[in-house]
Amino acid sequence: MRQAGWYKDAIIYQVHVRTFSDSNGDGIGDFQGLAQKLDYVQELGVTTLWLMPFYPSPLRDDGYDISDYRSVHPSYGTLEDFKTFLSAAHDRGIRVIIEMVANHTSDQHSWFLASRSSQDNPKRDWYVWSDTDTRYGGTRIIFLDTEMSNWAWDPVSKSYYWHRFFSHQPDLNYDNPAVREEMWNVMKFWLELGVDGFRLDAVPYLIEREGTSCENLPETHDVIRELRKKVDDQFPDSMLLAEANQWPADLRPYFGNGDEFHMAFHFPLMPRMFMGLRLEDRKPITEILQQTPEIPASCQWCLFLRNHDELTLEMVTDIERDYMYDIYASDKAMRLNLGIRRRLAPLLDNDRRRIELMNGMLLSLPGTPIIYYGDEIGMGDNIHLGDRNGVRTPMQWSGGWNGGFSAADPESLYSPPILNPVYGYQAVNVLSQRRSEHSLLSWMKHIIRIRRSSPVFGSGSIEFLYPANHRVLAYVRQLGKETVLVVNNLSSAAQAVELDLRRYKGNILIEMFGRNVFPRIGDLPYLLTMGPYQFYWFRLRRI
Amino acid sequence: MWTLLTALNLCWEAELAEETLLTDDFLRQLINVGEVDILVGLRTYNNAKTIEPVIRAIQTGILKCFPRERAVIINADGGSQDRTPELIVGASIDDVWSASKVYALRTLHSISTPYASSPEPGTALRTILAAADLLRAKVCVVVSPDSTTIEPDWLQQLVRPIYSDNFDLVSPIYRRQKFEGVLMRNLLYPMTRAIYGYRVREPYASEFAISGRLATDFLTKEIWNDERSRVGAEICLTIAAITGNYRVCQSFLGPKAQPDRGASDLVAAMRRTVGALFSSMDSNFPIWSAITGSQPVTTLGTESEVMEEPVRVNRKRLREMFFTGVAQLEPVFRSILSAPTLSELQRIATLEISEFNYPADLWAKTVLEFAASYHKSVINRDHIVQALVPLYRGRALTFLLENRDGSGEDIENNLESLCGDFERLKPYLVEVWADRK
Repeated sequence: MRQAGWYKDAIIYQVHVRTFSDSNGDGIGDFQGLAQKLDYVQELGVTTLWLMPFYPSPLRDDGYDISDYRSVHPSYGTLEDFKTFLSAAHDRGIRVIIEMVANHTSDQHSWFLASRSSQDNPKRDWYVWSDTDTRYGGTRIIFLDTEMSNWAWDPVSKSYYWHRFFSHQPDLNYDNPAVREEMWNVMKFWLELGVDGFRLDAVPYLIEREGTSCENLPETHDVIRELRKKVDDQFPDSMLLAEANQWPADLRPYFGNGDEFHMAFHFPLMPRMFMGLRLEDRKPITEILQQTPEIPASCQWCLFLRNHDELTLEMVTDIERDYMYDIYASDKAMRLNLGIRRRLAPLLDNDRRRIELMNGMLLSLPGTPIIYYGDEIGMGDNIHLGDRNGVRTPMQWSGGWNGGFSAADPESLYSPPILNPVYGYQAVNVLSQRRSEHSLLSWMKHIIRIRRSSPVFGSGSIEFLYPANHRVLAYVRQLGKETVLVVNNLSSAAQAVELDLRRYKGNILIEMFGRNVFPRIGDLPYLLTMGPYQFYWFRLRRI
Repeated sequence: MWTLLTALNLCWEAELAEETLLTDDFLRQLINVGEVDILVGLRTYNNAKTIEPVIRAIQTGILKCFPRERAVIINADGGSQDRTPELIVGASIDDVWSASKVYALRTLHSISTPYASSPEPGTALRTILAAADLLRAKVCVVVSPDSTTIEPDWLQQLVRPIYSDNFDLVSPIYRRQKFEGVLMRNLLYPMTRAIYGYRVREPYASEFAISGRLATDFLTKEIWNDERSRVGAEICLTIAAITGNYRVCQSFLGPKAQPDRGASDLVAAMRRTVGALFSSMDSNFPIWSAITGSQPVTTLGTESEVMEEPVRVNRKRLREMFFTGVAQLEPVFRSILSAPTLSELQRIATLEISEFNYPADLWAKTVLEFAASYHKSVINRDHIVQALVPLYRGRALTFLLENRDGSGEDIENNLESLCGDFERLKPYLVEVWADRK
C-alpha cells in the first residue's frame, strides 16, 4: 500500500460505522458489519474509506465529543474488531482514514474531568480557562442556533472554559506543549495500527489570541507544521486532511509550503456547484475556482457534494445564501445553523440527470472526490430528526427488514430508517440497484471506473474554456501528454455551444463513456449540442 | 398542384425573409444567451458621448433589483461610427461591483448587433422584440441611449409592474421641465387619450417596458410592413396594447434629460409620431369610434413636481414660422381643413405676439380635421403631416405664452382642459371621418 501522493488519485467514500451495517442485531452499526460490507465498497470502486468518529463518546455530537482517543466505542465493537476491519480493507486495496477531533474533547474525557477538578491539577492547563467570559471578544459563535457564547461556566472549578462548538466540547489548549505531545501520541497510536491518514476536525481554532478572530492564527500553523514533520518523519505515506471551513485564500496557508496539510476541503466550491446548477450559469463555479490559489504540487483539494454535516453556507455572500435557502430549503426545517441539512438526491429533486451531472463535475474538477455513503444509490433524508441526524440514517441495503441494515426490532435502531415511498428502503436500496444496469448505483460504478482510468483527473492541470454560452461549464484537464475535455450543460434545456479548441487542432475527441469518436478539431469553433444536464468527458487523441 | 407548390414556396420565402431580420452572428449570440427573464434593449446610433452612464445604470439596476433573474442587454445599432457598440459590449459588471458593491449572482450578457447601415428606430425595435420573443423574455425593457439622467431604480420601476403585477405595458412619466415635451402635451397625449380612451401620458415613450406576450403579439402586427407605421412603432405599440386589451400602467421615473436635437428634427418627429398615430386610426376605426371619454391608467410610484428652470425659446421665430406656414400652405390647408377652421387660423396669423392665442378648442379641431384628411388621403399623407408642423408651432407658442408664469398645477389644469376639448370634439371627427368631402 506504500505510494507517495496516493491521496491525489483517491476516491473517498465517507462512512459512519454506526450507520452502515449492524452485525450483532443491537440496532447500531459496527466494525464487524462494516467489514462485511467491504466487498460492496470495493465493487463501488472507491479507493479510500473515511470513517467518522468511532471513539468512546457520550455521543452528544455524534461522536465529535470524544472521551477516549485510544479505543473504540463499545457500540461499534472492540479495538480488535477495528484491526480486523482495517486489515480486511487493506487486503482489498482500500485505504482507511479516520477522524481526529483534535480541537476539543468531550467534557466527559478524563483529561477534562481532571482539569476541572482543581486549579492545581496538572491537567488544568490542558484546556482554556478564564475567570471572565469576556476574553477573545472578537470571536464568532459557530453554532448560532444553540450557543450564546464561546465561554461556558464550570460550576466545579468555578471558572469559565472556552469552547468553539457545543458547550459540552471544551477546547484543548494547544499553547501547552504537553497537549501537543499527547495528541501526537494519540495519532501515532492509530498510525502504528495501520491507518492511512487523518481527517483533522476544526483545525482553524486550535489557538486563541486576544484581539483576533481566534481563527487561522500563525501559531495554529506552527502546531500543524510540528505535527506534519512528525508524520513525515515516522509515517511518510500517511496523509493529513484539514477540515477548515474558510475562504480559499484563508485556506491556502494550511498547505504551507507543502509542509502542513496534504489535503483540505474546498468548502466554498460545494454550495456554488448547487448554485450554478439552479442558476443554470457557470459563473459561481468559475468565479470561486478563479479565486482559488495555486497549492503546492504535493497537495490536493478535497471536493464533495454532501457529507454528514449541513450543506454549509458560511462561505457565500448574503445574496447567495438567501438564494440557496429559497431554492434548496424552502421548508425552515431543512435549515440548520448557516446551512441546509439535506442529502444529495432530495436537494436535486431526485432528478437523475442532475444527480449524474453533479457527480460528473465532482469527479472531473481538480481534487479528490468524496462520496457520502448512500448518495451513490440516491438515499433520502429525514428533516424531522434533530440536528444533522436526518442525513445520518441507516444505509439501505435491501427492501427487507430494516432495509437490510440490522436484524434488530425497528424500534431499537439508533435512528429510524427512511420509510417514505420515494426514498424509503423499499424503493431505494443496494440490492435492487445492483440488479439493474441502468440504476444510479451502476452508473456511479461506471463513472468511478472511468475516473480511475486516467490520472489526469487527480493530478492534472485545469484550464477553463469560456464559451459564450454561460450555461455550459467547460474545462480541459491535462497531465503530461494526456488531455481530457469536460463539457457540462448546467441547463434544464438543450444547448448548443461553440468551443474554441484551436490549440488542439488535429486532435479527435473520444467520448470516454461510450468510447465513440467525435469529429476532428479544426480551425472553426467546435460545435456541440447537448441535452438537458448532459455532460461529456472527451479524451483528446492525435491520430 | 403547381400553383399550390408555388404558393407554398412563396410563403416559405416570405418567412425566410422575415427570419433574416436577425443576422447569423446575432442569432449565434442569442443562442449563447438562452432563455431570459429580462431583456433590456437599446437602440443606438453614434451615442458614445452618453452611453456609458446609461449602460452602467442598467447594469446596476439589474444587479441591484433583479439579482436572481436571467437578464441580457441587447443593443440594436444603426451603423454607429463612434464605437458605441464596443462601449456597450465592453462595459464590465466588475466595474459595477467595485463602484456600487452590487454583487452579480449570474452572468449578464451585453450584446450588440448592427441592424442597418443607417438608423431606423422601428427596425431597431423590431430587432429587439424579435430577440425578446426568441429568448422568451418575460419582460422587455427599452431604454434610450441618451437618457443620461437614468437611475438604476428606473429598471425596477419599469420591470416590477410586469414581473409582479402582471401588467403588459409600463409607460413612463417623467419629471419634465415645464416647457419640455410640448408635442407630447399638446398633441400626442390629448389626441391618443381622446381617440383610444386611455390617459397614457407618454404614448410615444423613449423608455418603456412590455410583457413577453405583448412583445410576441406586437411582432405579428401589420405595422412592420408599412413604413409610416414602422417609423412610429413606439406609439403603435401603445395603441396595440390599448386596443388589444392588454394591461397598461404608468410608472413615475424621474427627471428626463432632453436630447440635444436640431429644429429640423421636428418634421421627422411629427412623421414618426403624428403620422403613425393617424395611420393607426385607419384600421382601428371600429374600436375607437365606439369609445367615448377616457379612463385613467394605473400609475405607480411617487409623482414629482414639474421643474421650473427657465428655458430660452425664440417666440418671435415661432410666430413667424406659423405666419409663413399659414400663408404659404393655404392651398394645402384648403384641401385639409374646413373653411371655418382655416379662416380662424388666418385671423390668428395676423396677431402680434402680445395678443397671440391659438385656442385649445381650435387646435383640437385642427388636429382632428388633419386626422380625417389623412384618412382620406386628400393629398400625399406625408405632406399632410408636414403641413401640420407650422400650425403646431403656433400652438406651441400659445402653450409657452399661457404657461409662462404658470405653476406646475396651472400647466396640468390647462392640459386637462385641452384634453377635454379633444374628447368633446371627437364626435365631430367620427362625423367627418366617413364624409367623402
